[in-house]
This record gives sequence, structure tokens and C-alpha cells, in this order.
Amino acid sequence: MQDNILEIHNLVTSFASDGRKDRAIAVNGVDIAIPKGSTVGLVGESGCGKSVTSLSAMGLLPDNGRVESGEAIFCGRDLLKLPDRELRKIRGNRISMIFQEPMTSLNPVIPVGKQVSEALRLHGGMDKETAKRKSIEILERVGVPEARRRYDNYPHQLSGGLRQRVMIGMAMALKPDLLIADEPTTALDVSIEAQILRLMRTLQRESGMSILMITHNLGVVAEICDEVYVMYAGEVVEHADVYALFRDCAHPYTRGLIASLPRMTPKGQRLYTIRGTVPNLRAMPAGCRFAPRCERACKRCWEEKPLLQDIGNGHLCRCHAPVGTNGNGGEGNG
Amino acid sequence: MGKYITKRVLVTIPVLLGIILLIFYMLNVVPGDPVTVMMKEHLKEDVIENLRRTMHLDDPFFLRYLRYVWDALRGDLGVSWKLNRSVTALIATAFPYTLRLAVAAALFSWIMGIPVGILSAVKKNSLMDHLSMGLSLFGVSMPVFWVALILQNTFKGVLPVSGANSWQCYILPTVVLGWSSAGRIARLTRSNLLEVMRNDYIRTARSKGLSPLRVISRHALKNALIPVITVMAIQISSLLSGAVITESVFAIPGVGSLAVSAINNRDMPLLQGTVIFTAVLIIAGNLVADVLYSVIDPRIRVE
Repeated sequence: MQDNILEIHNLVTSFASDGRKDRAIAVNGVDIAIPKGSTVGLVGESGCGKSVTSLSAMGLLPDNGRVESGEAIFCGRDLLKLPDRELRKIRGNRISMIFQEPMTSLNPVIPVGKQVSEALRLHGGMDKETAKRKSIEILERVGVPEARRRYDNYPHQLSGGLRQRVMIGMAMALKPDLLIADEPTTALDVSIEAQILRLMRTLQRESGMSILMITHNLGVVAEICDEVYVMYAGEVVEHADVYALFRDCAHPYTRGLIASLPRMTPKGQRLYTIRGTVPNLRAMPAGCRFAPRCERACKRCWEEKPLLQDIGNGHLCRCHAPVGTNGNGGEGNG
Repeated sequence: MGKYITKRVLVTIPVLLGIILLIFYMLNVVPGDPVTVMMKEHLKEDVIENLRRTMHLDDPFFLRYLRYVWDALRGDLGVSWKLNRSVTALIATAFPYTLRLAVAAALFSWIMGIPVGILSAVKKNSLMDHLSMGLSLFGVSMPVFWVALILQNTFKGVLPVSGANSWQCYILPTVVLGWSSAGRIARLTRSNLLEVMRNDYIRTARSKGLSPLRVISRHALKNALIPVITVMAIQISSLLSGAVITESVFAIPGVGSLAVSAINNRDMPLLQGTVIFTAVLIIAGNLVADVLYSVIDPRIRVE
């Protein structure tokens, strides 16, 4: 217990939309624990609630979002109950975030160096000159060439990869205990992605921070994560360490995700796809939320909601008929 | 930067020539012979002939246009038919009144408009927001002459309602003229700020732990005010060229009143002069807006 830097318990987050009275539940009872010093992946397709989970914990939900219940324990304090003032002392200081789109996540009218030094001045209490010197050091550290000159550049003058390095520098400025990276490489091309992931790993080794890596890319997960949570339609459906997940994934959804990765297979084979789309947040199936798309779904799956159960060695799975057991459905061809 | 400004200035030259050509042509085809306008009572043949010659009225159109442009370049906009004084001098006399009113109205509209817009955006959908947006809409939509008459009626006896011989005279016209500008600026500030607040970089700023006040003042406002500043620069140039209706209603002897009297008197050179003066100011306003834009928004800056 005490080894976790952040523990999210039973988080429920809802969103209001225009002209409707009922609120859509985007995150429905999520439990996540991030051990100190490790990298935890949070995987799922767009709209499954993975970003909302992290934004809820940080108190950064948009105006129409609201945390309904749950807790997010960081160093013994529940972030969800902290007054905004206290939460602001943690944000950017002990927990930092990196976002997906480095172009829109940096302020277009403020030089990038200033954006890095801002957090230093706010939380580190540095004066302007010290913060500037420190920021240039940080920019060099995250691999921005000619950092002194780049300090005065505006975001549009940098490439996507450099912008993401600046974002990382900004997030790492105060050596946070936890870095939440929300799809940090999705907008970058593959070679840059590898560089950025390597950089994050190096920085993690140096500082011993924990990382929550939010992604839909299983390649990134395999590259960098120690353990993984798989989310589907606002719920965690599987949790395991990264080796167990790729070797013996138990949930049909996870298996579908892994199966749909392109591989070095003989020519002529079609890539696997999961049929159908994510169910509407306001019209969730009564039983298992994945049942309408599942090849193994049986009557029970449609009627009874499965619970997240330990299927051995701390491997959790939310399924009546996990892969590898004698399920009621067909075997599929994953 | 200097290169950019030079380029922008050079572009204005053909625009200005085109505007002069258009005005010159339009006033040329308007019915009514200048000489008849000038000397209604004594119409002797030889006098008319003589005048037409000295005024070059029989020359071809294009020659007269070129002559006018050449004179205008040297600051000579011709002589008023009615008042028999140099148009340039008449505008120079009237302009200080217009300038005072324009500056006062512009300041009024900025000091009211921007803070009200920011507050409305921050307190979106509150009573304050609805009230100030209602007042803004009212200011934007009400005809100026109507607001002017209502205010004159309401404040007669308390404030001077016409003339321009003391600073108090400017209070009502400033409110009348500034109200609609203030409304426009408030609405624009509000909608821009709300839009900017939805951006990813605002979330980044908040994720750094900045207070809501700093997020707005350091990260949102600069982005939100870029379009507002453009509107402000263009607005002040149109205010400077004379608020025709406001000046007439409040009997302020500015450029607007001058234009009205020129129309009433069929005083073509004077009308031509005031219109060209207006055009120059508006072109200059646009130029200033463009330059300001590139100063504030680094993305526009030409490398």
C-alpha cells in the first residue's frame, strides 16, 4: 500500500452535455495504483475514459465534467478533496503532465523558455535570472539543441519533436514524483517517438519518478511500461504486469487489441479487427460492456455484469469467460 | 519588421489613388454645375466662361484628376465653393474637435469594454454577464441619433447638450459614441476569451499549478486580445474621421459636421476633401492594426 505514489479508488466522473438533463458517465468506478518508481500504462481506445481518469485526479476537468465519487490518494492526501489552493501546490510541482498535441499544448504567444521557467518561478521561488539559467539547463537536458537561442523561440518556430521535448522539460523542471503523460508520442512520427520514449526512460532512471503513460499504442506500452491497465468504456477490464499481459492476456478485448497489431506475418493475411464500435456512454449494455463486440460472449455476458477478478498472481480481469479458460463462446482466431 | 512595414505602406498607395479616382469620378457625374452653384444670382456669360477657365472645368476628366492628385500630394485639396476658403485649412480647423471627441470615445469604449468583456467571460452566465451583455447589445443596436436625443432629453440642465466650448460639452457625445464601440469590444473580448480558455495550452498552464487569475492574465488574455486590438485600431480611425451623426446632433464643429455642411451646400471640393481625409485615416488605421498584430502575435511576424 505505502509503496504506491498514487492510488485511485472507485473513481466515477460524469459529463453534462448541452440540452440534456442526464449526465454521461465517462469513468465508472476505476481503481488504479501506481507504484513508486515504476511506469504504469493506461491503455484503451479513444473515448474509453483514460484521459478523463487522469484529468479527474488532477482537478483539470473541463467545465462540464464532474467527479461524482471516489478518491485519489497521493502521499496520504486525497487530491479530489483538496481545496484548489492546495492542489495547485502539487500540480506542476510534484505531479506534472505532458499532453498529446505539443503544438496546441504550448502557448503560441509566449516564448518556450519562458513557459519552462514559469513553473520554476512559481514553485521553486526562483528569481527571473536563476529561472532562466535553470530553464536553459533543462532544455539542454531534454535534448533541445542550441538551448540558449531556443529559449526565446516561439512554439511555431520549433518542430513537433522539439516542442514535445520542451513540454517534457516543462513537466520535469521541478523533478516531480509522478509524471502523467497523456499520449505524449501520438502526434509524432515513429523515429521521434522512439527518441522521446528513450528520453523519458533516461529521465526516469535519473530521478526515480513514477510515470503514468496514457496511450492507445500497445507498442509504446511494450517499450516503456512495467504494468498495464486496460480500459474499455469507462472501466478497467484487465490489469497485469506487462509480460503477463502480452503473454497471457485474459480479456477478449485485450486479446483483440494485441491481435490487431501489425506483425511480421506471411503475406496475404488480413489484420485482425475488433468488430463494432464502443457503446454510447448513455446506452451501456446491462451486462458486460464488451459483450456486443465479443466473439466469446454468451447469455450470461449479456445479462450479468462481470466483476474485476484476480485470475492468479495479481492478474485482474473483468470477464465471465477469460481467454485461456474454458469459455462458453467459440475459441476465436486471435 | 521595417521591411514589412515599408511593404505595407507601399501597398496603400494604389489603394489611395483608386479611392481618389472613385470619389473624383462620382462627384464629377453628380448633376449640378459648380459655377451655377457658386454664383446663383449674377449669371453673366463672360463671368461664367472666365470662371470655368480659371477652375480648369473644361479640361478632360483625367487631366483634372491628375492635377487634383498632384495638388493633394502637396496638401492642397482645393478651395471650398461655398466658403471660399482652402479645404485643407477648413479640415485643419475642424479636426481638433473631432480628435478630442474620438480620443474620449475610444478611451471610454476601451476602459468600459475590455474589463466588462473579461468579467463577463470569467463569470459566464451570471447575472453580471447577462446584464452587461444586454447593455452591450443595446449599445450596438440602438441608432446613435436616438440614443443621443434620449440622453440630451434626460440630462438637459445637468450637462451641456450642444456646442464644444467646454470639456463638459464632450461628456454626452462621448457616451453616445463610445457606448456602441464599448459594446462591440465587450462582446468581442468575452467571446474570444471564452474561446481561448478552451485551448489545450490553458490546460497546460493550469497543470503547472498557476492560479486562475494568472492563467487568465498571463496565458489567455494575450491570445484573446489579438483580434480586439485590431478592432480597436480600425475603430479609432473611423472615430477620427468624424462621427457625422453625433457631431451634427451635438453641434460639434468637427470633420463630420463639415462633411454634412458640404453635402447640404453642394460644396464638392469640401466634400471631396473630407471623404479623402476619412479614407486616409482608415487606411492608416488598418496599417497600424496590421503592424500591432504582428507585434503581438509572433506567428504573423515576417522572418
